[in-house]
Amino acid sequence: MSVNAATVALGDGAEAHQQLFASRVRAGLFALFTLISLWITTSSSGVQSNFSLWSDKIGGTNLPFSVPVDLLWGGVTLIFGLMGLFQFIRGAAFKWRLAIGLISPLLVFALLARLLDGTTANLTVFFTSTLSFAIPVGVGALAGIVAERSGFLNIAIEGKLLFGAMVGSIASSITGIAIAGPIAGALFGALVSLFLAWLGIRYKVDQIIAGTVINIGAVGITSFAYLRILQPYSEFNRPIGIDTIQIPLLSEIPVLGPILFSLSPYFYGSVGLVLFFTYMIYRTRWGLRLRAAGEQPSAAGTVGVDVVKLRYRAMIIAGLLAGFAGSFISLSGTGGFGINTSAGKGFIALAAVIFGAWNPIFAFGASLVFGMATAATTLLSGLGVGLPPQILLSIPYVVTLIVVAGLIGRVRAPASAGRPYDQG
Amino acid sequence: MNTLRQFGSKVRVPALSIFVALLIGALFLVFTDIEVLGMLLSDPLGALALGFGRAASSYSALFRGAFGDPANFSKALASGDVQLWARALRPIVESVVASVPLIFVGLGVSVAFRTGIFNIGGAGQFAMGAVGGAVAALVFGAGVIPAPIAILLMMFFGLLGGALWAFLPGLLKARVGASEVITTIMLNFIASQLIFFLVSNVEFIQKPPRIQPVSKELSQFVDLPGILPIASLRLDISIIVALISAVAVSWFLFRSTRGFELRAAGLNIAAAKYAGMGASTSIITAMLISGAISGLGGALVAVGTVKQLSPGIAGSVGFTAIAIALVGGTRPSGVVATALVFGLLQHGGSLMQVETSIPIEMLLFIQALVIAFIAAPDLTLGILKNPFRRRQVKAAK
Amino acid sequence: MRLELKQITKQFPGVLANDRISISVDKGQVLGLLGENGAGKTTLMNILSGLYRPDSGKILIDGKERTFRDPAQAIDAGIGMVHQHFMLVPVFDVTESVVLGNEPTKGPLGSFDRATARAQVAELSKKHGLHVDPDAKIESLPVGVRQRVEILKALYRKSDILVLDEPSAVLTPQETEELFDIIRGLAKGGTSVIFITHKLNEVIAVADKITVLRRGAVAGETTPEKATASILAEMMVGREVQLTVSRSKSHVAEAILEVKGLNVLNDAGALAVSDASFEVRSGEILAVAGVQGNGQTELVEALTGLRLIDSGSVILEKKPFPAGSPREIATAGVAHIPEDRNRDGMVKGMTVAENYILNTYHLPPYSKRGILNRKAIAAATEKAVKDFDVRTPSIHTDIASLSGGNQQKVIVAREFSRNVRLVVAAQPTRGLDVGSIEYIHKRIVEQRDAGAAVLIVSTELDEVLALGDRVAVMYEGRIVGILDAKDATRERVGLLMGGVTK
Repeated sequence: MSVNAATVALGDGAEAHQQLFASRVRAGLFALFTLISLWITTSSSGVQSNFSLWSDKIGGTNLPFSVPVDLLWGGVTLIFGLMGLFQFIRGAAFKWRLAIGLISPLLVFALLARLLDGTTANLTVFFTSTLSFAIPVGVGALAGIVAERSGFLNIAIEGKLLFGAMVGSIASSITGIAIAGPIAGALFGALVSLFLAWLGIRYKVDQIIAGTVINIGAVGITSFAYLRILQPYSEFNRPIGIDTIQIPLLSEIPVLGPILFSLSPYFYGSVGLVLFFTYMIYRTRWGLRLRAAGEQPSAAGTVGVDVVKLRYRAMIIAGLLAGFAGSFISLSGTGGFGINTSAGKGFIALAAVIFGAWNPIFAFGASLVFGMATAATTLLSGLGVGLPPQILLSIPYVVTLIVVAGLIGRVRAPASAGRPYDQG
Repeated sequence: MNTLRQFGSKVRVPALSIFVALLIGALFLVFTDIEVLGMLLSDPLGALALGFGRAASSYSALFRGAFGDPANFSKALASGDVQLWARALRPIVESVVASVPLIFVGLGVSVAFRTGIFNIGGAGQFAMGAVGGAVAALVFGAGVIPAPIAILLMMFFGLLGGALWAFLPGLLKARVGASEVITTIMLNFIASQLIFFLVSNVEFIQKPPRIQPVSKELSQFVDLPGILPIASLRLDISIIVALISAVAVSWFLFRSTRGFELRAAGLNIAAAKYAGMGASTSIITAMLISGAISGLGGALVAVGTVKQLSPGIAGSVGFTAIAIALVGGTRPSGVVATALVFGLLQHGGSLMQVETSIPIEMLLFIQALVIAFIAAPDLTLGILKNPFRRRQVKAAK
Repeated sequence: MRLELKQITKQFPGVLANDRISISVDKGQVLGLLGENGAGKTTLMNILSGLYRPDSGKILIDGKERTFRDPAQAIDAGIGMVHQHFMLVPVFDVTESVVLGNEPTKGPLGSFDRATARAQVAELSKKHGLHVDPDAKIESLPVGVRQRVEILKALYRKSDILVLDEPSAVLTPQETEELFDIIRGLAKGGTSVIFITHKLNEVIAVADKITVLRRGAVAGETTPEKATASILAEMMVGREVQLTVSRSKSHVAEAILEVKGLNVLNDAGALAVSDASFEVRSGEILAVAGVQGNGQTELVEALTGLRLIDSGSVILEKKPFPAGSPREIATAGVAHIPEDRNRDGMVKGMTVAENYILNTYHLPPYSKRGILNRKAIAAATEKAVKDFDVRTPSIHTDIASLSGGNQQKVIVAREFSRNVRLVVAAQPTRGLDVGSIEYIHKRIVEQRDAGAAVLIVSTELDEVLALGDRVAVMYEGRIVGILDAKDATRERVGLLMGGVTK
């Protein structure tokens, strides 16, 4: 806070001490990783990793290339080493999250290369499945950010994803209109979110308990509805497929075209939403008041901002977003809704929020990293390569765990998140 | 009479919550019946009659599955035949069996809640305890060591497995402030993957011919003695251990200095610190105990009741336990009582599923409602007591 | 614009905060509102700023009656409130903080027009001589600058009336002088200012007229020309016959607590207690008077282990003081009756018995090897409940259901149950009924007669004068005077409390 923070009351000193300790441990971890990377580098000399990309469209012309694995790992070793060095020198001031964010794509790639051990893998598929994971998580994280920035701890993202998935599938199947899915999913998500907000604001129910209630209820209701209605009457669960959009001109760029510019409209919608809300949060009046409500609600209240209404509105937006994200799960690909189809993505979204320090763009970046890890897992287990599938499937969750543990370090959450506001 | 009144006031909100939740559940049943919905416009009265009739028979199945069929009881009384008695008593015995894991995990979670920690990882801790117990059974069972000692070892490793799995979230929360909600849930997922891995790849554990992802028949290794005179009623010592655990937890919380510290920390952390109690130790201790109890339950259930280890061993026990801890008022006696009620619901639910094809996930929905009502007592009391009182409160604001 | 508050009355459960108070301020006038704690100033200002509504009375602006249902309406009417505890968002910068709630926007999305806002803030700052850096982050600013931001907030909303609640409480003397210049400038420009304080010199220096509040009512009105510090002090603290707790003369022995040059920092890193030196001897009560916010809280926290000592020495019974560890301090024989019993003193949800052993549970006979000895605990609690006349249905009742007085008795019983050499009591009778107050006073005197040293910190002047064998006064973190009981008249203490130290 202020100048003489070093010797003040117990609380403050402990905080600074903790940060220093944390940074030391991180430096040690980086050093460890450096050594491990070095070992992997030496043990992969001579191994070639073979990749292929589709150069014009999905399932089109194959473009193979290969990279020596030891080169990849040499690079990783170097970077880890540098990170460890900087972390040690700069201490708590080192932007380690940014560093990890930047290295993780390379790391995943290198791990993939090592585990493949020569088997050819199609990277285009890898990238597209990364995105299909990142979209619900990233938009879910956006939902979490909007809510928490306003001061409401929203841990019910998982539940809203499930509801959005189910309602979206049903709507799309009944109406036969593709866009009915996301709209219905979003609206239902907003309803659920409103209920959650009502419990937490009006009745001052503990926000974590209220969120858990929604999550449990969601699993119960959606599973129940699936078994009772969707399974026997499967015409309610056959959503209209959503075609990919081919962006003119750009989608014809070799290699990049199939990867980035001929994707599902969901992807472009999600990116649009992320960018839109980043702008809104940081550059508009609404965003300013939102952040004030989350950090110091009394500051906003005493200048006439209606904090309670603001939080309700933020929660509705969060619900719309989460429901939308949920609809993606059941509407991308085929098959519609299945029991527990979100598989914890809502909680991973929460981790993305923390890792992205409550910034939508960083959180989306974190979701991409999670997506890469999951995609790598799917790729490997599909090829029957490397570690047993269960270990691979655990990776997203382990990564989340590490992220939330912050590799030991505290992030600054909106100061008033979780605390009900008493207006006068 | 004072104690009766006290009992009444403690039981009032939980009982009301369960009752109202069941009511809403019935309504939900009626209105998710496609046939009923289809008829609603053409023949509303007939539709409602059909709907409520079906709901009634579902609930009848629920109660018969939970407590037993009165017809069976009268037959058994008339003849005195042991087999008939077994048939009559089986439902309620199975309900108690179903409540055993709920008691354990409910106790575990409630210890954490008492200290102000949201341990959502009951399922994972239960599962890891199952792993510990199963492995111990496989290693020490089947005559390698005298049976009673093998049983004790099995329980010990169950405790250990669960405690270990809860240690990490506790440590992270104490040292770093990491949200235990996220860490415990992540560990739940990891635990189920781990079990999957173990029963699919580790020859020592896998059931021959190593095709299905299940473990060997654990009863071949360790067999828990049943406690009822009728052999076909399978209530074993795990219920006794569960009740002993409840007493132990109660004793710990209210009779030991450590328990005293945990309770103080959960109620008012500032005053606790001022009284010289360490916050970190309290958090870690609470999580260790919490995980240990869940783990013990896992071991007993895996080895004794289910008799094998499989990835779905924990089922929905984790979430149910949260509901139980909240409803039971985090007092061990309340937890046991609520767990028994939920055990009745659960076993009744399986009969309901068989007879009327209502999926058992229905119960999750009811649980969520129950938690919601408990957590918002004003809402609950307001709904039933006096709709006008709420408006008065609003005006005064 | 002319502001009038007429016959404002506000009742809270158990206390009449405002009793038919009438004040008025003209355009460009500075009104000094003087009073000590509990005089009703804050309640009055909360009514004016729209946070509360009066039970009766009128607010008139330029002769027209106004009612405010929420702060937004008060702000619209031109009333700008600068609270004692700043309402600023630490991560925002100055520009954002000033314009929050009235932000200039452009475009269809309501984009924040930062350039315009910044220019407006800069202009306003220059016009009124309130120098701030529009881009600085609030959390990096010293307190005096933050206050300027708060003032700018009010001015940005074109307030005609500026209300400053104890503004100098967080300022250095130089910053206070600067603040006075700003106020004079504002007044000249036509803004009316209401300046709330307990500091006599300040009100004389900057106000055009002075209204003194005491115990919720207006005690007098005057101007700086007519008033002297003594007159104001008398108005502020009154001249009534004070209550005395009957007690025998103290038998004073050796010093138990010796404090030399004590410096304690507050949470913001500023000096809350500055160079305090005093001693408390066995068999005497040293009562520390002073308006809330002059360092008493931090002093007590330092002496009871809730806050670290920055520098200086504290010696307890000739032994070094185990600073920072409440448990060790308690073991060394210090009894602490905390200021905020709800937060530090007791655990609601636990029983009377459990609270009674809250900091002794780990010691014999209450526990042995980690197990609580319920019989011993119950017996001790029963005895304490009887000795201290605690009204409770049973020792196993939740302490939350006891009245404030009985809760405090449990705390006192607990603290006095140990071997007590030093009693540190902070606001021991705050919020209690008369009967409980008398009782607690009696027990404190008992401790003193038994040979303990007693340090009482209280903002209730009556309590201080009734109990103190010696009276110390804290002002702006310093001990500005230590008087013997016979010299401690209301007037003298009042002057010291108001900062007049000659």
